[in-house]
Amino acid sequence: MLTMPNELLISAKHLGFRVGGRDILKDIGFEVRKGEIVTLIGPNGSGKTSLLKALLGLVPATGEIARKPGLRIGYVPQNFPRDMSLPLTVGRFTRLFADRGAADAALARAGIATLRESQIARLSGGELARVLLARAIAGHPELLILDEPLAGVDVAGEAALYHLIAEIRDEIGCGVVLVSHDLHVVMAQADRVVCLNGHVCCEGRAEQVVSDPAFAQLFGPRVAGELALYVHRHDHSHEGHARV
Amino acid sequence: MSIATTTAMKVMPVYDFLWRATAGAAMLGAAAGPIGCFVLWRRMAYLGESIAHMGLLGAAIGLLMGISPLIGVGVLAIVAALLMARAGDNLIPAGTFVGMVGHAGLALGFILLATMETVRTDLLGYLFGDVLALSNQDLMGIAAAGLFVVAGCAFFWRAWLMQTVNGDIARAESRTGRFADVVFLILIAVLVAFGLRVVGALLIVALLIIPPAAARPLSRTPEAMALWAALIGAVSAPLGMAASWWKDIPTGPAIVLAAVVLFIVTTLSMKAVEAMRSSR
Repeated sequence: MLTMPNELLISAKHLGFRVGGRDILKDIGFEVRKGEIVTLIGPNGSGKTSLLKALLGLVPATGEIARKPGLRIGYVPQNFPRDMSLPLTVGRFTRLFADRGAADAALARAGIATLRESQIARLSGGELARVLLARAIAGHPELLILDEPLAGVDVAGEAALYHLIAEIRDEIGCGVVLVSHDLHVVMAQADRVVCLNGHVCCEGRAEQVVSDPAFAQLFGPRVAGELALYVHRHDHSHEGHARV
Repeated sequence: MSIATTTAMKVMPVYDFLWRATAGAAMLGAAAGPIGCFVLWRRMAYLGESIAHMGLLGAAIGLLMGISPLIGVGVLAIVAALLMARAGDNLIPAGTFVGMVGHAGLALGFILLATMETVRTDLLGYLFGDVLALSNQDLMGIAAAGLFVVAGCAFFWRAWLMQTVNGDIARAESRTGRFADVVFLILIAVLVAFGLRVVGALLIVALLIIPPAAARPLSRTPEAMALWAALIGAVSAPLGMAASWWKDIPTGPAIVLAAVVLFIVTTLSMKAVEAMRSSR
């Protein structure tokens, strides 16, 4: 699609992370460019969250991490513990990280302007997911880092939220790194898929990755076969739309 | 016999020490309210207690070395705060480690005080304080410490709140985490140092926790809760003082109980309001 490579936002070379003598990440090479959606997939314990945290500087990793100077990051963590003892409205929460205008615009963009006066601790899982995404984009990030942003979202909401993430990428031109468990939805929206299992097993466009032997080895031939079919079908439906 | 019929010479000192005690406890309560909100939100009540316990050891060391107990309390409280900041959930939970450090300090402090036969020290004075013995100098000290703590709260408010809401987001998107955390602990230590000698280890921790708890039902935003906590902390002082005067009960514990009564009042009021709303 793009002939000229876009601006590099963040890159890691020979990234490693050890906990208690065990390698969580080993010799990872990773980069995200402006405007692309990179999806991290891999089984439980494959180091997806650790890789995001290493990129964010939240865990002590070895190797090289280079960021574009002054890179603005919007982060949606995997866990967001809430506590009734802290009175906090959605609006105040968003304004904590951005000015009022940007915060209100972000809430409206995520379709949750009506939640502005709601208490964070009383939101449903799906509402919280949208609030966290709105908060992350309120600061006009150049790079969005989303660690399972769909946790607690129902199936219908999932596709809508994914669509929203892709739209936001188009609007503000940010890069997106995304971790998800739902391989079907992930494959549909990603520009590039990185398959992780302590190291980078394989990476590329979704249809390349699912036909990679390393992918079949990691997820089993059945999942790989199903997904290959899915990606194929998905491509066709897109082309169909394009011709109409 | 009313106070007015006693001679002026008696009246003035009586009013003076009452005024100083009320003002001192009120200032301490007001300063403890906002920073106490963070102690509540971050579930760090244990930390406040342990810093106060270490402060007691500091007072004992100060007396032993013949320097001001306040310096001993301040130094030990800050050392304890920084030591506890290193605690992380590892083989034992961070809270257990923090509690252990505090109790070690408390035990050592009592042992030291017991061995000092030349210094006639009332241990209860360090637990409950002696708010009625506040001097003008003490008042100045409390006022200065209180202003320092409140100014620190205002300056670091946003950083602390981000950290409280989600530490990972705060650290990922800005890079101010560690320093703000250390300042937080030092400010608590400063508050404890000034509070310990004048109102005691028990009261200072109560002033950190109870007014914010009482403020919670009244608040929809963190800022409102901090203001309510400061107000409730300040109001507990004259209420407790009045109870102490009329019923002749110890002043420090009376102030603590006044704060507890305010907590009960705000909590029950909220429940009543909710019940009325839902029955409509």
